[in-house]
Amino acid sequence: MSAMKRVVLVAALSVLFSMSAAAGDSPQGERQALMKDVRESAKVIGNTMRGKIDYDAAAVIESLNVFRDASARFGELFPAGSETGEETEAAPAIWEDREGFDAAISKWAEATDVALAGLPDTLDEAKPVLGSVMQNCKGCHDDYRIEED
Amino acid sequence: MRGLVAAIMAVMLVAVLAYAITAPSVLSEGGLPTHEADATAGQQIFRAGGCASCHASPVDGKRARGADKLLLGGGMELASGKGTFVVPNISPHLEDGIGRWSTLDFVNAMLRGVSPDGRHYYPSFPYTSYARMRLEDVIDLKAYLDTLPEVSGGSAAHDLGFPWSLRRGIGAWKRLYFDTGFVVATAATDPLLERGRYLVEGPGHCGECHTPRNWFAALDAGRWLAGAPSPAGDGRVPNITPAGKNVSAWSIEDIAYYFESGFTPDFDAVGGSMVAVQENLAQLTADDREAIAAYLKAVPAIE
Repeated sequence: MSAMKRVVLVAALSVLFSMSAAAGDSPQGERQALMKDVRESAKVIGNTMRGKIDYDAAAVIESLNVFRDASARFGELFPAGSETGEETEAAPAIWEDREGFDAAISKWAEATDVALAGLPDTLDEAKPVLGSVMQNCKGCHDDYRIEED
Repeated sequence: MRGLVAAIMAVMLVAVLAYAITAPSVLSEGGLPTHEADATAGQQIFRAGGCASCHASPVDGKRARGADKLLLGGGMELASGKGTFVVPNISPHLEDGIGRWSTLDFVNAMLRGVSPDGRHYYPSFPYTSYARMRLEDVIDLKAYLDTLPEVSGGSAAHDLGFPWSLRRGIGAWKRLYFDTGFVVATAATDPLLERGRYLVEGPGHCGECHTPRNWFAALDAGRWLAGAPSPAGDGRVPNITPAGKNVSAWSIEDIAYYFESGFTPDFDAVGGSMVAVQENLAQLTADDREAIAAYLKAVPAIE
């Protein structure tokens, strides 16, 4: 490896580390970063359902895996003390109704598991399965996210 | 002595004037068209109007979902700067709901904001928008409501501070602010825009949340759909004019897709109280969703 390449690699790694450190600094930052990943995956599945991109089962499965990993981690990213700050849009209802919040996340995880267990080969057949995963976004955001302009 | 008589007469005159100014104005039986009520058409009006979003009884303290949205027992509390409004039972229950109402009673509630016993409704019930509805649509809506399950249980009285607690005063408020004309005149130029305007300004009553209010809780028509503080307290109801960040960036098809799917073009999901609205919009026809979207792209852009 040339010295130049090494410098670039080290620089890239340190940028990555500092980014993940910043994101991992607080539960607010961490869950916001995780939600960004979820959004990127939702774009793949959503644009597929909308017909904007061709149905690619492998890409959809990759996105579903992001959902599964995120749904497994979300529960622990809303500890007491992280109700406010860092421009969080988390609604007070998360802490007032923890059971309901956890149940909403579980529903999302379950629907994702169903889709991963048997994703159909054609878009027409996959649409209802993916739809039942995607409807969990608003299923949680209606009660547990504060809407900003 | 003469001064006292004059003073008494002046007070009486003011009282008579106040009584006359605040008197409810209603339609009579002769004002109704000959129209055979169509409950199926009424179901679409029910969805466009979002009646269930307020009137369906909350379940475990949360908004009703699924089939529970058809149990219109009321009871939801609407917090506002004037106090707390409690949503009434509009199920067909004979005692607790509106099962004994005539079609004319229903029309006067929806279009004039007047109860069957001649009292004003507070504009927390958005008759200020419903007043723009066609009589036929209101009659169809009544026919649909009549098909829904009876729910027992009345709801508590509103809890309002003075002077808002003086219901009769709404008569004066109506004279100042109750405008049954359409807001966006230019939308009458095209059938699609006109349909969108009807849905948004009439049954859909979008302006009731998306338009800011003045101190007397009247909508500021000069800032039509330009966004407002959330009535629930946290967050903001977004600007949905072409100057707002969403409507400016989205195509008509994007807006219609949001109504259908609950997703923005970059797949953020609908949230908050808009979720219940979107679920209703998803049940309208694709043409109606397009009409609403086209109207929103055509209204005056307000920063």
